[in-house]
Amino acid sequence: MNALVTLDGVSKRYGQNTVLHDVSFEVAPGSIHAVVGENGAGKSTLMHILGGLHRPDGGRLLLDGKIVRLKGPLDAIERGISSVHQELSLFPNRTVAQNIMVRREPTRAGFVKRSELEARATEALARVGSGIDPTLPLGRLGIGEQQVVEIARALERRARLLVLDEPTAALTDQDALRLFEVLRDLRAKGVAVLYVSHRLPEVLALADTISVLRDGRLVATLVAAETSEDELVRLMVGREPEPLAERSVAEPGPDLLVVSNLGRAPAFADVNFSLRRGEVLGFAGLIGAGRTEVARVIFGADLLATGSMTLGGEPFSPRTPREAIALGVSYLTEDRRGLGLFLGLSLRDNVVAASQDAVVSRFGFLRPRRLKEVAMALLRRLDVRPLDDEREVSHLSGGNQQKVLLARWLMATPRVLIADEPTRGVDVGAKQRIHAELQGLSRSGVGIILVSSDLREVLSLSHRVAVFRAGRLVRILEAVEANEEAVMRYAAL
Amino acid sequence: MPRSRLSAVPAQQLALVFCIVALSGFMAVTYPGFASIENAEVIAMGFVFEGFMALGMTLVIVTGGIDLSVGAVLPFSAILTALLLRAGVPVPPAVFGALTIAALIGLLNALAISGLRVHPFIVTLATMLSLKGLNLVLTGGGPITGMPPGFAWIGQGRLLGVPIPLVLFAAMAVSLGLLLRHHRFWQQAYLIGGNPRAARTSGVRVSFVLAVVYVVSALCAATAGVIAAATHGSASAGFGQNAELRVITAVVIGGASLQGGSGSIGGTLLGLSFLALLYNAFSMTGVSTYWQDVATGALVLGSALATELVTRRRERR
Repeated sequence: MNALVTLDGVSKRYGQNTVLHDVSFEVAPGSIHAVVGENGAGKSTLMHILGGLHRPDGGRLLLDGKIVRLKGPLDAIERGISSVHQELSLFPNRTVAQNIMVRREPTRAGFVKRSELEARATEALARVGSGIDPTLPLGRLGIGEQQVVEIARALERRARLLVLDEPTAALTDQDALRLFEVLRDLRAKGVAVLYVSHRLPEVLALADTISVLRDGRLVATLVAAETSEDELVRLMVGREPEPLAERSVAEPGPDLLVVSNLGRAPAFADVNFSLRRGEVLGFAGLIGAGRTEVARVIFGADLLATGSMTLGGEPFSPRTPREAIALGVSYLTEDRRGLGLFLGLSLRDNVVAASQDAVVSRFGFLRPRRLKEVAMALLRRLDVRPLDDEREVSHLSGGNQQKVLLARWLMATPRVLIADEPTRGVDVGAKQRIHAELQGLSRSGVGIILVSSDLREVLSLSHRVAVFRAGRLVRILEAVEANEEAVMRYAAL
Repeated sequence: MPRSRLSAVPAQQLALVFCIVALSGFMAVTYPGFASIENAEVIAMGFVFEGFMALGMTLVIVTGGIDLSVGAVLPFSAILTALLLRAGVPVPPAVFGALTIAALIGLLNALAISGLRVHPFIVTLATMLSLKGLNLVLTGGGPITGMPPGFAWIGQGRLLGVPIPLVLFAAMAVSLGLLLRHHRFWQQAYLIGGNPRAARTSGVRVSFVLAVVYVVSALCAATAGVIAAATHGSASAGFGQNAELRVITAVVIGGASLQGGSGSIGGTLLGLSFLALLYNAFSMTGVSTYWQDVATGALVLGSALATELVTRRRERR
C-alpha cells in the first residue's frame, strides 16, 4: 500500500542540541503507527514537525508521495494532518459544537447558522461514536470527553492523519478503552493514526507498526504483532547501564518520613513508602506518573485527600508550604523559572527567600551585612558564577540559576529535601556540583527524595528507587536490583 | 430540547434579574413617584452615556483586555465636535470628523497592545492620561458653547416620544448584541479571550480582531461624547469623570470575566440597568453619594464572589 505520510531523514536541532537525527518511516492509510521512546527521545519534536509547529532542519516530509513544506499549524490542518496535543487546544467557555466547528462555522451573511452548526457537530461526534450534547459548554466535560471532542474536530476537518500525543496520560482506564475503540474504528475507515506514547501495553494492543526512538534517533521500526514488551524496553533503553557511581555508602538511619496510603484524585492513589535519615530515595517513572504531585502534597502545596504522613514520628499534614518549611521539608521545584526563582531579584534575595528569619533583626528589619554574608557563603559553597550576590538572577546560566535555587533550600536547613528534576537543563559542571551537594546532604543525615526523569541520575545517586506508573507507586527497588531495564519495565508496563 | 433554556442562562444573570425586580418592586411600593414613565426616562438618560461605553467595553473584556481610555475619549470627542461646529463646519462632517479621530485613538491602542505587546491596562491608562490633559488644553478648563440649533436635536430630540439618545443606544445595543452572539467574525472575540494560543492555531487573525474591537470601543465612547455635547449644548473636559470605572463595573456585574472569554451584551444591559436603578434609588431615598460608592464597591465584590463560587461548583463536578 502507498504511504500517506513519509518522513525521510528528518532532523531537528535546537542550538547545538540535536533532538532528532535522520529519522525516516512511513505511515500507511488505515493503519495505526506508534512512536515510543523514553522522555526526551524526540517524540514530541517529531509530532510538532508533523503538526506544522516546527520546521525540520534537514530531511523531507512527503504527503501522498509529494514533498511538502508545512507553513504552520493551519497549513497542516488544511492538508489533512490534525494533531491532538497533551495540552488541549480547546475553548472552555464555548459550546462543544462551537469548539468542533471553530473557524469553519456554517454562516449566512456572516451570521452563524446555529442549527446547522449543531447538526454538523453532532454528526462529527457520531462518527467517533459519541453522544455528547453539542450545546454544553466544553468546560463542563471531563478531560476524556474533551479529548473525544478534539478528535471529532479533527475528523470534521477531514483529517487523513491523526497525530495523538500521550492521549491516555490524563484519562481514566475506562476513557482510555473508549478512546481505543474510537481509534480502531477510524483505522477501519481509512484514517491513519500516529500514536505517540511510552505506555507499552497499550501501544502493543493498538498499533500495527511501532517505531522506537532513542536519543533522537530511530532505533527500529517493528511490526507490533512480532515484538514484545521486553524487546521494546531493550530498544528504548539501548545502552549498557553505567556503573553505579559514588552512591554514598553509609547505611541510612531510622525512618524519617513515613507516607501511608497517600492519595489525591485523579493524580495518584495508595502511595506508601518511608524515607530514612541520610537516604536518597529515587522517584522514577514517566512524565505524568504522579511523582511531582506526590512531592507537592508532602510540601503542603496541595492538600492531601486521603492517607497520612509522619515526620520524625510526629503526625505530619502540612496545609501550606510555609508549614512544611517550618517543619524542615524543602522542595526544589522542577519549574525553576515558573515556580522557583524571582527572576527580577538579586541572587541574595533569591537565596534568603525561604528563610528570611535568619537575616532580620528582632523588629523585622533586614540586616544587609548578615544577608550578604549568609548568601555569599552559600553561593561560594555551590560555586555559583559569577559570584556576585547583587546581580539579577535572570542574567545567570541555567546551571547557575539552579544552584541559586538549591542554595535557597540549603539555607532552610531541611530534614527532608525533595529535589524535583534537580539537573534538568543544566550543564555538566553544574550537574556534578549539584550531585555532590545532594550526596553531602545525605551523608549529614538529610533524607532526600530525588524525582528525576534522568534514569542514570536516579540510579547513580539513590539508595532505593520507587517506580511510579499512572499515579501508583508500583515497586520500590533496592539498589542491587535497580537497573535501567528493571525501572523501565515497571514504569512502562 | 426539553431541557429548559433557563439552565443555559448563567446563574449570575438570573440573580441580577432577581435583584432588579426586587429593587424596582421595593421602590415602586415605597416611593409613588418611582413607577412612572418620567422616572424611567430619568433613569435611562442618567446612564445612557455609560451605556454606550459599556457596549464597546463588553467586546474588549471578552477578548481578555480592558479599555480605560473611554472616559477620556468621551469628552475629547465632545470637545472636538464643539470646536468644529463653532468653527462653522456643518453638523455631519463635524460629527464624522470627531468619530474618525476617536477611531484612530482606538487603533493606536490596538497597535500598542498587539504590535508592541504592552498590556491593555497600561496602554489605555496612558491614552486616558494624555487625552485628559489634551482635553484641558483644548478647552482651557471652561465649557465650549455656541453650537448651531440643529445639532441639539441629536441630544434633545425625540422619535415617537422616545429621546433620540435612547433610540440610538437601543439600535447599537441590538446590533452589537446580535453580532457578538451570532456573527462569525465577532465571535472570534471569545476565542481570543478564552484561549489565545488556540485561537492563533485555529486561524484567528488576533491582531486584526483586536484592532476592530478597540476601534469599536473608542467609537462607542465617541458617540456618547457627541450626544453629550448635543444634550448639554456645550462640551467640557469634565464630561465622563470616572465613567470608565462605572462602565467596567456594569460589564463585570453583567457576568463578564476580566480573564476574558465570557460576557455578553445581554448581561451588560442587565448590569447597566441594575446600576442605573441603584443610583436612582439612592437619590430618591436621599442616601448620600458617599454611601452610594460604598454600596457599589460592596456590590462589585459580591458579584465577583458569586461568580467565583458558581465556577468552583461547576469545576468540582
